[in-house]
Amino acid sequence: MFKLDHKLLSVTVATVLFSTLSFASSEIVKKEDISGGVQYPIVGNQTHLYRVNPNAYGLKLNHGRLATKNELKAWDKDVMPDGTGLPEGSGSVEEGEELYEAQCVMCHGDFGSGGGGYPSLSKGNAVELQKTLTNNRWKDPEAEGPVRVFGSYWPQASTLFWYIRDAMPHTKSKTLSDDETYALTAYILNINEMEIDGEEVDDEYVLNREKFLKIKMPNVDGFVPNISGPDALKGIRAFYREPKNYGAIKVEKSKRCMKNCQEPSAKIARVQGAGISDFHPPMNVSKDLPDKKEDSVHKMSFDAEKAYEASCTMCHGAIAPAAKDKDAWAPYVEKGVEKVYANGINGTNKGMPALGGSSLTESEFKQVVDFMLK
Amino acid sequence: MTKMNQKSKKSLESKSRRDFFKKTSVLSVAAAGTLVPVVLSADDQAIMHHTKWGQSWGDAVTKNLYGIPSAYEHNNTRRYTKLLASGNYRASIAVTPIHESEGIITPNGLFFSRSHGGTAHIDPNEFRLMITGLVDKEIVLTLDQLKRYPSVTRTHFIECPANGGQEWRRPQYNSLQFAKGFMACAEWTGVYIKTILEDLGLSSKVQWMLAEGSDNSEMGRSVPIDKILDDAMIVWGQNGEALRPEQGYPVRLLLPGWEGNLCVKWLKRLDFSEEPWFAKEETSKYTALKPDGKAIQHFYANEVNSTVVSPSPEKPWKDLKDGDVVEIQGLAWSGMGTITTVDLSFDGGKNYVEASLKGLVLPKCWTRWSYIHTYKKGDKLLLTSRAMDDAGFIQPTIDQEVSVMGVESIYHRNAVETWEVTENGEVNHVQIRS
Repeated sequence: MFKLDHKLLSVTVATVLFSTLSFASSEIVKKEDISGGVQYPIVGNQTHLYRVNPNAYGLKLNHGRLATKNELKAWDKDVMPDGTGLPEGSGSVEEGEELYEAQCVMCHGDFGSGGGGYPSLSKGNAVELQKTLTNNRWKDPEAEGPVRVFGSYWPQASTLFWYIRDAMPHTKSKTLSDDETYALTAYILNINEMEIDGEEVDDEYVLNREKFLKIKMPNVDGFVPNISGPDALKGIRAFYREPKNYGAIKVEKSKRCMKNCQEPSAKIARVQGAGISDFHPPMNVSKDLPDKKEDSVHKMSFDAEKAYEASCTMCHGAIAPAAKDKDAWAPYVEKGVEKVYANGINGTNKGMPALGGSSLTESEFKQVVDFMLK
Repeated sequence: MTKMNQKSKKSLESKSRRDFFKKTSVLSVAAAGTLVPVVLSADDQAIMHHTKWGQSWGDAVTKNLYGIPSAYEHNNTRRYTKLLASGNYRASIAVTPIHESEGIITPNGLFFSRSHGGTAHIDPNEFRLMITGLVDKEIVLTLDQLKRYPSVTRTHFIECPANGGQEWRRPQYNSLQFAKGFMACAEWTGVYIKTILEDLGLSSKVQWMLAEGSDNSEMGRSVPIDKILDDAMIVWGQNGEALRPEQGYPVRLLLPGWEGNLCVKWLKRLDFSEEPWFAKEETSKYTALKPDGKAIQHFYANEVNSTVVSPSPEKPWKDLKDGDVVEIQGLAWSGMGTITTVDLSFDGGKNYVEASLKGLVLPKCWTRWSYIHTYKKGDKLLLTSRAMDDAGFIQPTIDQEVSVMGVESIYHRNAVETWEVTENGEVNHVQIRS
């Protein structure tokens, strides 16, 4: 069905309902697409106003080479809800907690509470918090909003395993083993107070592949349109064909509202105070020469303080010594500044990522260290 | 020419000049309603003095072999804010200065930058694209091999579906850059994925393609095969040069009109399958929660939208004089088709007049619109633009959109937006809502 065949393609174009618009000397052909919008099939030498080379299509171009079995395996790391790609292995909540304290807590906070702009991994009991998803802060800014964390919101646990193994921690992703990934997954299930097959994921729990496949997320049915199964695409097309499903409005141009179109109850809502206005660089539209210190485009010198604020303050000041905190730094400085440089540049097993996980050069990094030790 | 002729000509000239001044002063009196004394302006020193650039060498052509903007343009930059600082500004965004934008092309250095684990810097010599899954031939391409396919060049916007997403409950940014700058538009060059697939033998069972990035977050999304066989592209060119690292150098996916996060950057693998993957960024994020507690997942296209660009909170009308004739202009865009109409309201969306489209009007692309307006000093205005596309969609009012989507969905907000012009010509972002 999806083999690209030119004859088939033109038959499809002819049979699917399409409309033509008169535009200058050429005709624009369009047809419905899956997202509720329109697409512009290539007809002859044209798609919309773009000309194409009709001889560039329907070619079988034999570029590249076949992938080897090992190559396919090396990059095939995705884990699907049915267990495709989920490896054998096991890990306990206890091991997970230890890993979490060593590698995750500096960003995701104690017990996954989040903070510093990093995602929360838990806000409490998953089943209870799933019920907050109908919360909507229509009028009352003090009202409780919906809680969208792993336990209360995500439809599939496979997503968590895949993401931890492939992408976490961001400063050294793809370093966790399968067993370590099971352990961290177990810990995150634990802090979300979840059950597997009627059994509480308590502090003693050991997770493995078999048990993992029995996880049922509380919000598994919380999403529309359905995207699974052989009729998924049909369902998606039908969903987006109905504008009411997603707050959209269709109208003929001649029938659009031109007079008295606003709801009578509508009033002017204003930005409160200055609103969100901590813009960097500060908003400025003047055409002047840059202040050398502030200029980011025509950068003259490296600003260690800015780099510190951008790259280090998530941990330093929270779980590691803050800049200029002489007492906190004293035990490190005792061993010599060179040692502090080296620890920072190479990273430590106590949570400091190499170069602080930043993209600074070594010499820039040393300037940041100097700033912090001032 | 005789003396007398010369003289009479001179007197004629001076007479007509006097008449001209008389007429204009009458006009200005009529317009302003009060007598304004005619002030002869002092000589402009920008004209009367030689400039330093007019009297000395300029730079040698050997300087700045890759050109940079004038130093005086240093304020025209992307900007970021702590509210969106997630991940030490790695899983974060820096937004486009729409208020300074010209035409429908965003310069590469100003194209908004959003990533889920920081901007990756990829050695193009080590770039590989793997195409795998339910195809007869699973292949690997180098960058050179990829560029050997017949290319296409298309101008499309890319928009983060969270554009305007902080303002479901009230306006929060008194700024065009932050209210609408989670998007930009460029001319992209690459290859249709369907061109590559011709030779690979795609199975008839395939419904989905996984696109995976090679960055540290392995950004992934499942894409329905409909889009892949329509206009999905793998692109390496952006406005006539290689993609910038922030845009996925050397190669990204481009799904014209669809959510920016679907256009996976630093692309490394395409996998074809019967079932979708439930990747992190298609469930935990980029899903729009409705009041019934159900969230829309796989919300692909950015819907029809528009904004007034001039004036804006950043570029107000404080310097306008009474009677000045000005162009109100802006942008309209739709990921569902091509802009057909833009209407402009001066009273916050009660009544509309039709504006003109200008320049190229292309599918899934920024479109400029224009309206010529005579400014009256002291007038208070509520400027609201409203666009339509050729799929038949029109922008909803805030009340209409919120009645279906609630205020917690974060993504895909496309209701009409309003600038308040105060009597002093200041411009504020407001919303007209119940």
